[in-house]
Amino acid sequence: MKSDTISYKNIYYPPGGILLWIIIFLELFTFGIALIAMVYSSKEAPELFHESRLYLNSTIGVVNTFFLIVSGFFMAVSVHNLKQQKLDKTKLFLKLTMLGGLLFLALKGYEYFDKIDAGFNIGYNTFFKYYWMLTLFHVVHVIVGLVILASVYFGLSKTNSTTKLEDVEASAAFWHMCDLIWLLLFPIIYLLF
Amino acid sequence: MKKLLITLGVLIILTIVTAIISSANESFTVVAILILAVLKFIGVSFYFMEMKKAHVFWKASVLIFLLLFTTIILLQF
Repeated sequence: MKSDTISYKNIYYPPGGILLWIIIFLELFTFGIALIAMVYSSKEAPELFHESRLYLNSTIGVVNTFFLIVSGFFMAVSVHNLKQQKLDKTKLFLKLTMLGGLLFLALKGYEYFDKIDAGFNIGYNTFFKYYWMLTLFHVVHVIVGLVILASVYFGLSKTNSTTKLEDVEASAAFWHMCDLIWLLLFPIIYLLF
Repeated sequence: MKKLLITLGVLIILTIVTAIISSANESFTVVAILILAVLKFIGVSFYFMEMKKAHVFWKASVLIFLLLFTTIILLQF
């Protein structure tokens, strides 16, 4: 494992790298604009949005928030251990991070199955159109994040690993981005209307 | 490490408070839920993502995004 000293105070080197932070802001603005559009649409049919929101299980949303927050914590601990050259602990916490992501996906899968079974598909009404588009787009990000974390894990597991601290930090930043997006989606879709 | 644990504890407490507040049908509910979401967002970005250590430009960018987002959402409610 290669490690270099990175000064985060440099404007060109935020934690995770400048390219990833440009992606993070693009993603946040994309989801942010979509959520604003959802709230704007709700003004045309507030009762429909309220009634539709009540069909969602907010407890599942809370538990999924818990999974992502704890998973984000494990990711941060993993990076912390890597900086201290503790490779075994880094890999252990990386596995726990991925477990959190998998639990999130499993619960989301259950929720989706439940909604499809009840007939609340993407064409049911405007609320569910936004619900499916936004949450599915987020799920795609979580899946991509898990693939990135798995590749980092296997990269670190090699005997002559060329994985740098910057690579792990960049993948961690992507994973935390999934957390950040969910922290915006959850209250608006599941609680506000 | 200690800061990460404290952040995790605070984030879990904020999530539980959000769940409790959401069941109350008061006028302040929307504002309270959004403020709690902003606090959680700051917790993850500044402590888990170590933005606290980053250049002021990046810190300001995160805060400006949050300010813009919450203001526009609140103006529509």
